[in-house]
Amino acid sequence: MATPDQQNRRTFLKTFIKIGLIFLAFISGIISLVFLYPSEIRKRELKFFYAIKEEDLPRRGVKRIELAYESNQKAGSFRAFLINNGGKIFALSSVCSHLGCLVEWSRNNNMFACPCHGGKYDIEGRIIAGPPAFPLERIPMKIRNGKVYLGLKV
Amino acid sequence: MGKAFDWIYSRFGIKESHKGLLKRTIPGNVNYSYCLGGMAFIFYCTLLISGMLLSSYYIPSEKEAFQSVVRIMRVANLGLLIRAIHKWTANLLMLSILLHTLRVFANKAYRPPRELNWIAGAFTLVLSFASGFTGYLLPWDQKAYWATVVGTNMIATIPLIGNSLLLLVRGGPEVTGFTLVRFYSLHVIWFPLLMNLLLWAHFHMIRKQGISGGL
Repeated sequence: MATPDQQNRRTFLKTFIKIGLIFLAFISGIISLVFLYPSEIRKRELKFFYAIKEEDLPRRGVKRIELAYESNQKAGSFRAFLINNGGKIFALSSVCSHLGCLVEWSRNNNMFACPCHGGKYDIEGRIIAGPPAFPLERIPMKIRNGKVYLGLKV
Repeated sequence: MGKAFDWIYSRFGIKESHKGLLKRTIPGNVNYSYCLGGMAFIFYCTLLISGMLLSSYYIPSEKEAFQSVVRIMRVANLGLLIRAIHKWTANLLMLSILLHTLRVFANKAYRPPRELNWIAGAFTLVLSFASGFTGYLLPWDQKAYWATVVGTNMIATIPLIGNSLLLLVRGGPEVTGFTLVRFYSLHVIWFPLLMNLLLWAHFHMIRKQGISGGL
């Protein structure tokens, strides 16, 4: 049998080692997470890219455009809708606000339909049905010297 | 243990099956040199974890290997620290595993019934050196390249099968990107896997046979 004195010593050492190990595991976990976290996160900035000529804007309804752009030595393409809704001209992103599939304009039903999960938007990009929580994103548009520019975050 | 641990232990039952491991009697005449094996194991665990972290940045390709190591050193958060931990722990592992071997040898702890454990330990020693050798190539700089050229050249001196073995190890007549990928595979998959098996056998036998009571 251990004397109470030895018992104390043993309990102290046990607790000491336990706390030490928990501390070590905690520190290692933090260090690992910091290491795995990306150190270079480039901020996306709004840049305007030439899309089409002003005279090619739709007189009525929806026109789909594919915009190929190049920024920071990286090329990409972007699909957008140019819309003339009774004289009001604006641009909508084709990226569904639910999970990022690309929506299509359905002329027959007069709405944007997402093929993935059945999200539906009207011509203004407002939600009609389906899982999306936000309307389609409006893309900043500039018309200068007869040319249409769209603002993308790249 | 705390409540969370008790919840797991009461279901997993690991406490009961390992009671013999956690509460075993050890001979009275052990000293601090008996810690060398445990130290080697701690170093091995540290290498395993720091290696897993490094592997999430390292690219085992002829063109990108060196750049990815530079990226770990200069760009990744605490990359310098993690790589230094991996490098220095590898050196410490070599040291402690060698001293452990010497201790066991000096204590004649390899005698029956512990011969098989000595053999498992010897394989672990060789495997840790092999891990060190394969890991040395991975930074893919001049030192690593020439160390591997010279090191693998030794294989060719084996009579009869030397040249074929050299081709097998290098994946070609010269040290190339194929060698790099080969060594990467050995370093991160084959060797740790075999090492885990060997260590499990090593510890199992220590548990069954107990620590040698010395001379």
